[in-house]
Amino acid sequence: MITSRKELFFSLCLMTGCVCVFVMARQVVAENAPALRATPSFTRDINGILSNRCVRCHGPDAAARRGQGGGDDGLRLDTFAGATADSSGTAAIVPGQPTQSEIIARITSNDPELMMPPPDAGERLSAQQIDLLTRWITAGAQYEPHWSHVPPVRFAVPPVKATAWPKNDIDRFVLARLEAEGLSPQPEADRSALARRLALDLTGLPMSPEEVDAFADDPSPNAIDDCVDRLLSHNGYGEHQARQWLDLARYADSAGYADDPPRTIWGWRDWVVRAFDDNMPFDEFTIRQIAGDLLPSATLDDRVATGFHRNTLTNSEGGTIDEEFRSVAIVDRVNTTMSTWMGTTMACCQCHDHKYDPLSQREYFGIYAILNNTADSDKKSEEPVVRIPWEPIDARRAAIQNELADIEARIPPAPKGGVEPPEFQPVRAMIATLQKKLAENVPATVPVLEELSGDKRRLTKLQHRGNWQDLGPEIAAGVPSAFGSPTLTDGVGLDRMAFAKWLVDSRNPLTARVIVNRIWERLFGIGLVSTSEEFGTQGDPPSHPELLDWLACELVDTQWNIKAIQRLIVTSAAYRQTSKASAALVARDPENRLIACGPRVRLSAEVIRDQALAAAGLLSTKKGGPSVNPPQPNVGLKAAFGGGIDWQTSQGEDRYRRALYTTWRRSNPYPSMATFDAPSREVCTVRRPRSNTPLQALVTLNDPVYIEAAQAIARRMVKEGGSTTAKRATRGFRLVLARQPHPHEVERLVRLHEETRNALNDKPHDAMKLATDPLGPLPTDFKIDAADLAAWTVVANVILNLDETFMCP
Amino acid sequence: MDPQFEKHLLATRRHLLGGMAGGIGGIALSELLGGNRRASADPMAAKEPAFPARAKRMIVIHLTGSPPHLDLYDHKPELVKRSGEDCPAEAIAGKKFAFTSGTPKLLGTPRSWVRCGESGMELSDAIPNLHRVADKLCLVKSMFTDQFNHAPAELMVYTGSPRAGRPSLGSWATYGLGSENANLPGFVVLISSGVQPNGGTSSFGSGFLPSVYQGVQCRSKGDPVLYVSDPPGMDRTLRRKSLDALRDLNELQAKEFGNPETLTRIAQYELAYRMQDSVPEVMDISREPQRVLEAYGAKPGQSSLANNCLLARRLVEQGVRFVHLFDWGWDFHGTSPSEDIRDGLTQKGATFDKPAAALIEDLEQRGLLDDTLILCTGEFGRTPFREGRTASSSVLGRDHYPDCYSVWMAGGGVKGGLSYGQSDELGFKAASDQVHIHDLQATILHLLGFDHTKLTYRFQGRDFRLTDVHGHVMKALIS
Repeated sequence: MITSRKELFFSLCLMTGCVCVFVMARQVVAENAPALRATPSFTRDINGILSNRCVRCHGPDAAARRGQGGGDDGLRLDTFAGATADSSGTAAIVPGQPTQSEIIARITSNDPELMMPPPDAGERLSAQQIDLLTRWITAGAQYEPHWSHVPPVRFAVPPVKATAWPKNDIDRFVLARLEAEGLSPQPEADRSALARRLALDLTGLPMSPEEVDAFADDPSPNAIDDCVDRLLSHNGYGEHQARQWLDLARYADSAGYADDPPRTIWGWRDWVVRAFDDNMPFDEFTIRQIAGDLLPSATLDDRVATGFHRNTLTNSEGGTIDEEFRSVAIVDRVNTTMSTWMGTTMACCQCHDHKYDPLSQREYFGIYAILNNTADSDKKSEEPVVRIPWEPIDARRAAIQNELADIEARIPPAPKGGVEPPEFQPVRAMIATLQKKLAENVPATVPVLEELSGDKRRLTKLQHRGNWQDLGPEIAAGVPSAFGSPTLTDGVGLDRMAFAKWLVDSRNPLTARVIVNRIWERLFGIGLVSTSEEFGTQGDPPSHPELLDWLACELVDTQWNIKAIQRLIVTSAAYRQTSKASAALVARDPENRLIACGPRVRLSAEVIRDQALAAAGLLSTKKGGPSVNPPQPNVGLKAAFGGGIDWQTSQGEDRYRRALYTTWRRSNPYPSMATFDAPSREVCTVRRPRSNTPLQALVTLNDPVYIEAAQAIARRMVKEGGSTTAKRATRGFRLVLARQPHPHEVERLVRLHEETRNALNDKPHDAMKLATDPLGPLPTDFKIDAADLAAWTVVANVILNLDETFMCP
Repeated sequence: MDPQFEKHLLATRRHLLGGMAGGIGGIALSELLGGNRRASADPMAAKEPAFPARAKRMIVIHLTGSPPHLDLYDHKPELVKRSGEDCPAEAIAGKKFAFTSGTPKLLGTPRSWVRCGESGMELSDAIPNLHRVADKLCLVKSMFTDQFNHAPAELMVYTGSPRAGRPSLGSWATYGLGSENANLPGFVVLISSGVQPNGGTSSFGSGFLPSVYQGVQCRSKGDPVLYVSDPPGMDRTLRRKSLDALRDLNELQAKEFGNPETLTRIAQYELAYRMQDSVPEVMDISREPQRVLEAYGAKPGQSSLANNCLLARRLVEQGVRFVHLFDWGWDFHGTSPSEDIRDGLTQKGATFDKPAAALIEDLEQRGLLDDTLILCTGEFGRTPFREGRTASSSVLGRDHYPDCYSVWMAGGGVKGGLSYGQSDELGFKAASDQVHIHDLQATILHLLGFDHTKLTYRFQGRDFRLTDVHGHVMKALIS
C-alpha cells in the first residue's frame, strides 16, 4: 500500500504547513507529468476529500451507508476493497482507469439523479479536487492507513545547516523544518525569563528573586541542566503535574447530579501527586490506575490507584435507577480511557459505528465489556472503598478508642435484658458519647475498583442507540481491531489487566504519541498535534510528524520516563528561545506551529492563583489530605435538594493551600477558578480553553484573595525592597515576574504609588482598609503609615494584573 | 475546543493587529470599546443569525421543581369527576415514579377555571394576573420529556441532554448571536427564592463551548456580579488611576512581545471597568418609577421573582441577548402546606403571575415584545394522581410527571392566544399534537434565526447540537 514509511511521513510533513510553498521532492513522480503535478498522495490530497465529502454515507458506519441498497451491501469508499468491489459489472474505482471508475462519472455528472455528492449535500467538488481524484486513480488509487493508526518508528534525525544551534535532537527536527521554510530560530531567552518559564512550567510556582539571580549568575555550562534537575525534584513538581491528570480523570470532591453530595476520594489525588513526584514510569502509572487491584499481591496503594475510574458521577436522587446510572458511568469510563490514553474520541460509537474512523459500535461495547465487571453500582455509599491511613483522624480515633477501652474495663458488661444498677448509668452515657464521637471521626477512604467473580459477573449486551434498556446481542470483551491486539495471559482472557497492558504496549500506535504530545502541549501551549483530544481522521495532522514519532519512541525506549522527556524538551534550544516575535512572524505563523520563537502561554487558573499567593509569601507548602475551602463570596444560595452548599471557609494555613487542594464541587465550582477556564470536571477534559474575558479582570482586580495577596506583596516590597520607592517597586515587580523591570516600568509604578498616596493622604479610613482588609492589622516589625502601605497595595494589585503576569514568558 | 473556531478567533485578532499598525492602543481600543459591538476579536460581538430572526433576544422563566400544570393550565373535568378513584392500571403500567408506588388515587384539580380573553384560553384561578394577557400566551398542553428527576430533566430542557456537560440554551444563543451590549454580559442568570437550579451551574453552563458563553449570574443583593466592586478603600478615581498605569505597562508589553492577546487583555480590562459601572446601574431597580415597581410587585433590595422579572426587562432593553430566571419552590409534592395545590399554590402563584404578566405588558408597551421571546416552563409536569408519600395526609400534592405537561411562550414570533395540543381525558398522555422537549428547542432556535440541525460545535470528534439528533420545528406555534 504505502511504498515506504518515509514517503508517508514526508507527505504528512508537506500537508501540515499552511503558510508556505512546498517544494515537491518526492521520489515517485509520474512520468511525463508537468512540473508540480506529482502523483497525488492519499494522505495529503485524497483522504480529506473522501473523508469530508463521501465517507459520511460511504464509510465505516453500515447503518448510514448508501448505494446498492445500503447497509452491508452499500458502497464503502474508505477502503481499497470497498471502493474497487464489483457492483453489477462496474466499480466505484477501477485502479488506473479513471474513465471506467463510476466515482469520476458521478462527481462530474450534472444529472441530479446521478450526481455525487447529491444535490442536497452541499457544493460540488471543485475542479481541482476532481483532477486530484482522477490523477490518483490513474496512478493506481493507493490507499494508506491513517497516520496515527500505524505504530511510530524512530526516524533518522535530519541534517541541518546551522549546526551550532541544536542542543539536542529535538532541535534538529525543529531547525530542519525552519530552514526548509526559510526561517531562523530566535535567540535564547534571558536567564530571568527562562527561570520564570521553567519554574512555572515544571512546578507551577514562581522562583524567588534570589533563586533567579543565583541561576542568572551561574557561570557553569550546566547551569540550565542543573536548574531543570532542581525543579524536577522540587517539592511542588508533582502537585503541578497532577493538575492536568485530574482534569482527564474528572476528579472532584463531589459525586455529581442534582444532590452533588460530598465525595471522599482525595486519597487518590494524593496518590497521583506522589506518582508524579516519584516519576513513576507511565506504563506502571497506567496499569495501576486501570487494573491495580488485579496485580498479584496488590498493595493498598495499587488499589487506591484504581480510584481513577471511581471519579465517575453517582446519582443518588430519589427514584433513580442504579443500573441506568451505573451504565452511564461505564460509558464514561470507556470514553475517558480512550480519550486519555489514545486521543481517540469514541463517544459517537456508543450509538452507532464511527462515521470516519474504523471503529464500530460492537468494538465500543467490547471495551465496555472489559470495564463492566467491577463491584461499584451507583450506590450512595460509593462502595467498594478502601480505608487509607490519615494521621489526624487516625490519631483522634485511637485516643477515643483508648478512652473507651479504659472506661469499659471499669464496669461489667451490660446484663442481657436485665436491669442495670443505676450507678452504672453515667458511665454508660459516657460510653455512648464516646461511641458517637468515634462514629463522627470517619476514617479516610477511597472508592476503588473491585472485580466481580462467579455468578455476580455481568453479561454485556450491545445497547441500541446507546439506550441501556434496548439491548442487542451479547458482546465479548475486545479492543478495536485497528489498534492491534492485546497480549493475553493463558486462562485469564481479556480482563482489565490485559487491557491496561495493551494501552501501554509498545505496539499500540497511539498512547506514546498522545502522551508526548500532551507533554509538548503543556510546555508550548499547542501540541505537535493541535487537536490533542483527537488523533483520528477528523483531528489535525501533526506539525512535525517525525519529531512526534521520535519523541514517542524515546518515551517507550526510556521505559516511559516522563521526567526524562520533559528534561529533553525544556533543555532544547527550541524551548529556550525568547518568545518575542516580530509582527511578520506573528502574521505568518500566529499559532507558532513552526516553533520559530519560544512559547508564550496563558497560565492555568491554578497557577495564576498559586503564583499570587507564592509571591505574597502566603502560600502553604503543606501537601495532601482532605480538600480545603479558601475564601469565596457567600452567594446566598443553597443546592437543590443537596442540603447546604455552605462553604465553611478554612482557617489558618488551609486558607492558603495550593489551588489543587481547593474543594472541587461539580455543581458549584470555585468561582474564580471557573472564570479562568477550570472545568467542572463532570467529564474528561483533555484541553482547557484559554479565554480572555472582562470577568477575569474583575477576579484579579477585586477578589479578596487577590487583594490579600497584593497587601502581602506590598509589605514585602517595603520590608525587603530597600529605602527608595524605585527599589521597592522593583522588589514587587521581581517577586511576581522574576526579571528586572525596565526603568520606564519602574517609573510608571513609582508614579502610581505617588498618585495613590497623595489621593489617600486625607482619607485615612480608606487607606487603612486598603492596606489591611482582609490581610490584617498594620505590621509591627517595621514602621509605615497606612496611606503608604495602601499605595503599595495598589501597585502590587497592578503588578498582579499585568498581561505578563498571566503569561508564561 | 473547536480548532476551526480557535483559528477564526486568531484570524480576527490578527486582522485587528494588522489594521492598526499606526499605533498600538489608541485606534484599536476605540474600535474595541465602541458602545456597539462590531466584528472584532471579541467572541461576544453581535452576529447575524442564519436567517431573519423573529426573536432577537430571549427571557426564560424557569419554575424550578415544576409547577402542577393540571392546577394552572390544563383543565381536566373528567379527572375531577373521578378524583379519589384508583388510577387506571393501564395508565401507570410499567412506569416508575420518584415517590409513588402501588396504585395511587386520581386527583382532580380543586381550582376553579376561567375562560380568558378573546381566545377563551382556559386558565386556573391560581394565576389571575395571567388572565389579562391570555391573548399573548402561546400555551402548549401536549409537552413531554424523557426524564422524571429534577436535575436530568432540567438539563434536558436547557442542554438537550440529561447529563451535565453540554452547552445550555443561552450559551448556544450567545454563541450564535453574540450580544448587543459590550458593557454587560450577553447571557445573564438571575435566581430567586434562595436555591440554585437543580442542575447547578450546568443548567446555564457553556459545556464544551468557550467559557465566554457561560451564563453570568447576577444578584440583587451584594455584588450584582462576582467581584464587580472595587476593594474596600478604593474609589473609582483610584481604580481609574491604577488601570491607567496597568494599560501603560501592558502597552509596553504589547510592543515588546507583539502578542495580539495582550491587546485583547487591555481591551478586556477597559470593558471590566465599564461593567463595574454599567452592571450595578442596570441591576438597580430603585431607578424605576413607582408605578412600574408596583406593576411587577418588585421591591428594591429584595431577592424575588418579581425583582428578577423587572431586571430581565431592564437587561434585554440594554441589549443583553439572553436572560435566564430560575425561581425555586414549585415542587408541589404535598410534603408541607406550602406545597399544597390549594392555598400553597395560591400563594406561590401570586409571587409569579403578577410579575410575569407585568413583564409581558411592559415589554409590549416598550415595543420589545414582538422580538423578545419569553418561555415559561418547569422541568416536567406533575402527576394526575396524589403523590405516594403524602397520599394519606391532609395536604394535596402531585409527583413528578414527564409524559404530558404544559408550558407557555409569549412574544418573539409565537402565536398569542393559542392553546396548542391536548392531553387525554385524565391527563396521562399527550393525546394530540405532541411536542417533545427537543421539538420545543428546535422551535426556539428557529425563532432566533437558526436551523437547529446546523447550529453545531465540534467536540470529541462529533458535531454537537442542542437538539442532539432529534427535534422538529413546530410551525403551528409560529405567528
